[in-house]
Amino acid sequence: MADEDKALQELEDLFAEARSAPPALPDHLSAAILADAARVQPGFQPAEPARQPLWRQLAEALGGWPALGGLAAASAAGLWIGLAPPSFMPDPVALAGYEDSSTAFADGSYDMALMLSEDLQ
Amino acid sequence: MSASAEEASDDALLVLYANGDSRAAAELTARLGPRVFGVAMRVMGIRAEAEDVTQEAMLRLWKMAPEWRPGEAQVSTWLYRVAMNLCIDRKRRARGGHVDLDAVPEPPDPGRSAAEQMQDGARQDALQAALMQLPERQRQAVVLRHLEELSNPEIAGIMDISTEAVESLTARGKRALAAALAGRREELGYSDG
Repeated sequence: MADEDKALQELEDLFAEARSAPPALPDHLSAAILADAARVQPGFQPAEPARQPLWRQLAEALGGWPALGGLAAASAAGLWIGLAPPSFMPDPVALAGYEDSSTAFADGSYDMALMLSEDLQ
Repeated sequence: MSASAEEASDDALLVLYANGDSRAAAELTARLGPRVFGVAMRVMGIRAEAEDVTQEAMLRLWKMAPEWRPGEAQVSTWLYRVAMNLCIDRKRRARGGHVDLDAVPEPPDPGRSAAEQMQDGARQDALQAALMQLPERQRQAVVLRHLEELSNPEIAGIMDISTEAVESLTARGKRALAAALAGRREELGYSDG
């Protein structure tokens, strides 16, 4: 039993010696491994980006938040001009061949812009 | 990059490599290459064979990089497993041929001084020769446990066996090694004291 213990202890010493001097990676092997890495790497597809909600994809396609702000302002201005054109511009309703909206009301002073402004109050 | 690469986990480096960072490959090679090579040297017993196993295992690591899922397993465990399987495959093929790899002793470690090599060389050669007498799985378990100092559960994962089986393999392997070395005590510089 004592002999076996001694043999096992000597084996532990041998393991410790071996651990204290691990083999180094030969330079030519390191170079070959890195050459493999460089050869394999270009074949990888770029990682697929995380999927985004449709509204965010649309916003980014249009140019992000600044572009969306401009688009909203332009849309609002266009709607307002369409509903209540300035006096120097032709009335789009008349251009379309309909009667002027103001003439459709009994007192003759009502127009669409006024009606909308009342609705907003 | 160099400072952060040294601090990054193997997982993170592998993802960096998959995303096109070539410096991550250098860091992974410096970290994992010597460990795989050391194990392959002990298990195969021949430097040229160990080099082939190491290069092939690392090549498989590079190819697998885009599919790697960080956090699910340790890169080193995966690599050890590949290397051990490559060693088994090569041993099987060699047994089918004319070369008895187990009969060839390990060449001396070129990293030591000449005096140290003369002093330690005989003992390490004896250890390697005794290791080569062990059955393949015992040798793998002993090398991973006592030379790489991996935990039994990690070895179980590498060898695809239970922790109890690892304990059994290493215990039997150690007894067999001790018995093989007992007859060479004087030759190896151990006195009866």
